[in-house]
Amino acid sequence: MTPGTRIVGRSLPRMDAPGKVTGTALYAADFALPGMLHGKVLRSCEPHARIVRIDTARAAKVGGVRAVLTAADVPDVRYGGSVKDEEVFARDRVRFAGQPLAAVAATSPEGAAAALEAIEVVLEPLPAILDVAAALAPGAALVHEGWASYTALPILHRDGNVCNRARIVVGDVERGFAEADRIFEHRFTTPSVHQGYTEPRAAVAQWDSSGQVTVWSNTQLPFEIQTTLSEILQIPPSRVRVIVPGIGGGFGGKLRVGVEHFAALLARRAGRAVKVMTTSEEELTAAYARQPAIVELKTGVTREGRLTAREGRLWFDTGAFAGSGPGVASVATLMLAGPYRIPNLLLEGRAVYTHKTNFGSFRAPSGPQANFAVESQMDIIADALGLDPLELRLRNIVHEGEEGPTGQVLAAVGLEECLRKVADAIDWKNRRPAPGRGKGIACGWWTTTGGSSGVYVKVNPDGTVALNTGAAEIGTAALTGAAQVLAEDLGVELADVNVVSADTLSTPFDFGAQGSRTAFAVGNACRAAAADLKRQILALAARQLGAEESALELRERAVVAADGTRVTLAELARISQATGGGLIAHGTFVAPPTPYDAKRVEGHVYPAFHSPSFHAHAVELSVDADTGEVTIHRYVVAQDVGFAMNPTYIEGQIEGGVAQGLGQALSEEIVYDEGRVLNANLTDYKMPTAVDVPRIESILVQHPSLVGPFGAKGVGEPPNIEPPAAVANAVASAIGVRISSLPITAEKIALALREQAP
Amino acid sequence: MTTLALSLTINGATHEVVVPPHRTLLDVLRNELGLTGTKENCLEAECGVCTVLLDGVAVNACIVLAAQCRGREVTTIEGLAAGGELHPLQRAFIDRGAVQCGYCIPGVILAAKAYLDEVAAPSADEVREALAGNLCRCTGYQKIVEAILSVTETR
Repeated sequence: MTPGTRIVGRSLPRMDAPGKVTGTALYAADFALPGMLHGKVLRSCEPHARIVRIDTARAAKVGGVRAVLTAADVPDVRYGGSVKDEEVFARDRVRFAGQPLAAVAATSPEGAAAALEAIEVVLEPLPAILDVAAALAPGAALVHEGWASYTALPILHRDGNVCNRARIVVGDVERGFAEADRIFEHRFTTPSVHQGYTEPRAAVAQWDSSGQVTVWSNTQLPFEIQTTLSEILQIPPSRVRVIVPGIGGGFGGKLRVGVEHFAALLARRAGRAVKVMTTSEEELTAAYARQPAIVELKTGVTREGRLTAREGRLWFDTGAFAGSGPGVASVATLMLAGPYRIPNLLLEGRAVYTHKTNFGSFRAPSGPQANFAVESQMDIIADALGLDPLELRLRNIVHEGEEGPTGQVLAAVGLEECLRKVADAIDWKNRRPAPGRGKGIACGWWTTTGGSSGVYVKVNPDGTVALNTGAAEIGTAALTGAAQVLAEDLGVELADVNVVSADTLSTPFDFGAQGSRTAFAVGNACRAAAADLKRQILALAARQLGAEESALELRERAVVAADGTRVTLAELARISQATGGGLIAHGTFVAPPTPYDAKRVEGHVYPAFHSPSFHAHAVELSVDADTGEVTIHRYVVAQDVGFAMNPTYIEGQIEGGVAQGLGQALSEEIVYDEGRVLNANLTDYKMPTAVDVPRIESILVQHPSLVGPFGAKGVGEPPNIEPPAAVANAVASAIGVRISSLPITAEKIALALREQAP
Repeated sequence: MTTLALSLTINGATHEVVVPPHRTLLDVLRNELGLTGTKENCLEAECGVCTVLLDGVAVNACIVLAAQCRGREVTTIEGLAAGGELHPLQRAFIDRGAVQCGYCIPGVILAAKAYLDEVAAPSADEVREALAGNLCRCTGYQKIVEAILSVTETR
């Protein structure tokens, strides 16, 4: 706990926990309205095809069916974030197996399923572009022949199947390679992995007689969904109200429109409320799973282990639509630099169209893919130079006041402390404690996404406080953190704060629960609101007590004068309600721009990391020489969180992020064959269970950010970045085998061991 | 459509429902009785969010037919806090920070209860084994395991 704080910095229980442990907390998947219909979506089984015919006549006659929709029934609009290339239903052409062709609403889920069966679809299969190599091959067909006509962010560098090429250029890589004693070139690949939230995506939509639609959904971004639905439905945003009842996990998979548009369109057609919820099969075939990636790295280094130049290229398979791809390709270039001082850089990230689902953002998008490559190569370099991998990192990491790859000046850099602390904790000096047993280390950096947040805060007549925020609580306890900030500044207890959140009609704007920003940005907005409220409270109290404002103190739910006389917050709230409309404040925050050198970037949507965080992971594991099976013995994380607003839930972010990262490292992969997913169920898509995850040791390093509330930095995404690299490095340390593709399955290890055998 | 009149004992109270014979316990709990504390996800007994107790044994309600529950005791998360007093597991999950998004938590708590009713003083590894049928994507299971062990230590 930081000296001088009462509420922030303490491990207080989250405010929404009682409802969650008793089953009374409401999630979007639980939400229902009387007389509600059930919607289902018919999806293509072909990755690429011409639509010959879709006949819904029989489906419309199935008992209980109230609406049937195809592309012919909905506005012909293309929507999307950075490139408007998406459509609600495939119109003439199918571009991935899983693409929606039609949707139905019926009085029962069984009725809706029967109606889907009754839709007659004739597709003429076409040759599909199944991966990035095929999409970029000379003369390759275009996934979107009309790509150049699409509305897109002007900053993007688009060309055919490439929907963005982001680039960072610093110095002269050729000169840097000439200065190097050794040059290392490697290629790494990573597959698609799913966020694995336990609550399916769900939405209920209902129209009222005035033409307003209300959508209850588990989106992370209610305000973005409002805008997107307005485009799709062709009505003004003010006619779309999005409410988030509760979310059962998101991790980036619930950022973009998923089922909300189907619910709204079906409800408009049927004249009744409609609920649409995804199945596990839909999640694994037609959601926003992480982009598969190919990374090529060429790094020059001196004999002493000083990095002189890096040329890095990363290709994301973004699937049939751009989605998050152009932005994630941009972020990737910053991740390819790593948290290292490298004077000469040529880094490129590309998002490439293929005939697959529109891959998207997953916790620290681009982070694990780029870090796996960068940190694997650091160990390869260290081994080749005869240097300790920790020592190689310490010779090259960034420090306070140095530049990031695009010229941003780095502040609050706790990286060296993180590296030294994890190394100490894992007993790094003893790197290979036994045959088949080894330790690995990896480090990285990440952004605290900016964007703006607003809150309304009012004092209730009983002296408690209502916090009204447009941000959704996705499970991180970020809104408990923000409420701690508010309680701290207003002299009340955490239990005095009630949170109302995520309703586009009634709550102030928020950029959304994404990018490790919620506690950071909403917390700062709370500080602004508290400062305003405090002025109002003290002015009113001064009149009541007949004292000077400067002699008053706000504490313990009251304003106290120097002579001990006091007036409670409750009294002041009641007085204000009777005479002045109540005590209420609008607090806002927008992250200040991070200056960078614009000459170094091209096609870049995200040129600098706001209030960056730094982190290091260390793992000890053993490998079974016969089966290749990996057993993790210890896992240690040191993360620079700036200021630990609530240590328990920060540990929770670290433990959960590492568990997810270990899934990506060892077992998870959405397996494609000829454009179709082979393992679209939770038996064959292998997420870690309680027996697969080791105990995780968290070390919270605190180099306060200049911007965040009480010095806090974003904490949610980073723990997901380093696990694949740390595991790969530990496997190499244990058995001398370097696996350069994820996941590092027992099968890959066993095969590699067999090839290595004399 | 054929229907069955079922008398179900859920959290100690009797409920009469008339449903088609293929309806699952999960469906009846959530959609007939409004007991949405039992969660819905994979519907093929892989994720464990629908875990309830059937005569004290943890089962996945998504693959149990409601008709199979006649004459048996069903306990859902709503029935665990007796007389408004939180069950020690619920208290421990709150106090130990074991809850994040919370969607898996009702199932996890019930699986833990069934296990602790059989094994009074398990090891951490045994608790993990007992939870292997309950996926959690937020917590990495650590604080869940700690919360469960804390209950065994205090009784």
